[in-house]
Amino acid sequence: MPKLAQSAGHPIRKVLIANRGEIAVRIIRACREKGIATVAVYSDVDRAALHVLHADEAHRLGPAPASESYLRGDLIIEIAKRTSADAIHPGYGFLSENAEFAEACAAAKIIFIGPPAAAMRMLGSKTMARQVAGDVGMPRVPGSVKGLASLQQAYAVARDIGYPVMLKAAAGGGGKGIRAIASETELSSAYAGASSEAERAFGSGELYLEKLIQQPRHIEMQIMADHHGHCLYLGERECSVQRRHQKVIEESPSPVVGEDLRRRMGEAAVKLAVAAGYTNAGTVEFLVDAAQNFYFLEMNTRLQVEHPVTEMVTGLDLVHLQLLVAQGWPLPIAQQDVHLRGHAIECRIYAEDPANNFFPSPGLITQLIQPAGPGIREDCAVYSGWRVPLDYDPMLSKLIAFAPTREVAIDRMLRALDEYVIGGIATNVSLFREILTDAEFRAARIDTSFLDRLLAKPKPQESESAAAGVASIAALAAAIFEATSAPQPTAQPVSTPSGAWKSAARNEALRA
Amino acid sequence: MTLDIQIAGRTCRIILPPELLSSFQPGASTQPGGPLPCIIDGETTQVDVQLLQPGVLSLLIGGRAYRCILDEGPTGRAVLLEGKRLAYALENPRSLRARRSAGADENGPVPIKSPMPGRVARVLAAPGDVVEALQGILVIEAMKMQNEMKAPKAGTVVRIHVAEGDTVTAGQVLAIVE
Repeated sequence: MPKLAQSAGHPIRKVLIANRGEIAVRIIRACREKGIATVAVYSDVDRAALHVLHADEAHRLGPAPASESYLRGDLIIEIAKRTSADAIHPGYGFLSENAEFAEACAAAKIIFIGPPAAAMRMLGSKTMARQVAGDVGMPRVPGSVKGLASLQQAYAVARDIGYPVMLKAAAGGGGKGIRAIASETELSSAYAGASSEAERAFGSGELYLEKLIQQPRHIEMQIMADHHGHCLYLGERECSVQRRHQKVIEESPSPVVGEDLRRRMGEAAVKLAVAAGYTNAGTVEFLVDAAQNFYFLEMNTRLQVEHPVTEMVTGLDLVHLQLLVAQGWPLPIAQQDVHLRGHAIECRIYAEDPANNFFPSPGLITQLIQPAGPGIREDCAVYSGWRVPLDYDPMLSKLIAFAPTREVAIDRMLRALDEYVIGGIATNVSLFREILTDAEFRAARIDTSFLDRLLAKPKPQESESAAAGVASIAALAAAIFEATSAPQPTAQPVSTPSGAWKSAARNEALRA
Repeated sequence: MTLDIQIAGRTCRIILPPELLSSFQPGASTQPGGPLPCIIDGETTQVDVQLLQPGVLSLLIGGRAYRCILDEGPTGRAVLLEGKRLAYALENPRSLRARRSAGADENGPVPIKSPMPGRVARVLAAPGDVVEALQGILVIEAMKMQNEMKAPKAGTVVRIHVAEGDTVTAGQVLAIVE
């Protein structure tokens, strides 16, 4: 246990969570475990959201659009003051990487649970972070260090490093403003497209160029730094299974990272964080090529969606550590105390339909049966009867499986997916079954284009007789549902002409 | 009771025994206590049925256990079974008529329907516009994703039923191209 540091700062008694969804619930849970009171904030469509139901206090922000609610830093700080919250946890997304918001918190004497604004600025911009990474000797993907001034400069840099190259938005994130360019003829139109996309998405059209690493893995290192000069690396996460540059499955440890590579990546990440004066939780992302060379990609200056896989294999609670660090305490462990044990996998369960172009599918959840049992954790934001709003990202929950080995973790995840029933809206649960039973995935032969290749493959057809058998059972169930469903007086006013028509037609059919 | 269920591209005729139905009537105190004969496509099968809660069934058929869940979404009903989502419809005179009329007028007006609930982000065409096949007509946005709704065929935009900022439901007719 940590000794009381003389310089330990301000005890936190109440935290405002400036977020929604599963991450808000997850942070509220950690606060409750630590005896810290919680304040939720919500938009009009989130009045009955799970995070509002879990918190000690809840306050309205405004209408549904994020720009009028969860991005209103001024309102959030006002509510924090009014409720005497000592600290604000930004979660991920929304205001979590907004340096002005972190400064506004400091000015209002409220602890921002995250890095200092200066470190966030330095590492949040991809071009500035690349410069700092270069200064501490971290390997980077060859390319432009500063933002490109013009298309002419882009031609010169690309010729210098050699095609294929990647064009990226300096202020980027979420896969926006990124183009892969195979040869010189594609550069001019890609430059215009990426620049205008970045301008629209981030308010800055600044681009930079990198050499395209062929079939790279996306592997990232979790770090945690306190205000006493200690910074730990907490192992890596393999995040190569992506669709449109968005992570779909994450695991820890990476099946290709051994102790030596882990130590080298971890020490490089720590060096970068220390050089930038970083504190609290952060993640350094790397591309790793087939020869196990790693290259700095970018830094995420916040808690990440996929942090649970690190928690499972390290046995640490990252939000507890964030709260500890934010109060000025030293980290309670040293690097030699960090051990990875077992294997954890996370699936991001989204309200989107893999059978229909991954169209989003907001709406009412009519049935929810949640998986449980050994080694299963579900960080969830929904319940039966909750209407998933169309205003925010489509994540419903994160399902995490933990087991002694990767193989058992995969089988355990498949078992949990079989138990998982989300009715009323389409979800991507079936996509995970496809990935987790794929031979390439099971053999850990994955890179960032693995999922595109898998989705392009023709689907294996199941035997006709098996499919017919399942359909017959389902038809029997459907018949029982139809024959036994009680008339629903509240669902639809039967007196309207169409309602009366429907029930008449139905009764007639049932009489046959 | 006989029900014709359209499922997985075919129609399945199910005949349920009266004992099964009466035990689910309002006021019935117990569920069926053992296997009952159900007829699936002419074949009699002994089925042990328990309705666990509205929309959740447990079936035992020859000792094999099935959990069937009713999924009522915006686009219709389905049964969730063994990781599959099997959409179904109860065949009745009304749906027969609807099926006959569908697809009958490919040369006439064709509606553009929203594939998902969302909000109209942009309207790209106006009534009277002559459009190519697959030309963008409007953009629907939900959950930070935008989807362009394209003209199903070359023709003239007859009507636009929505305006920018409108909320739409899945299956709602957004525009008509003729």
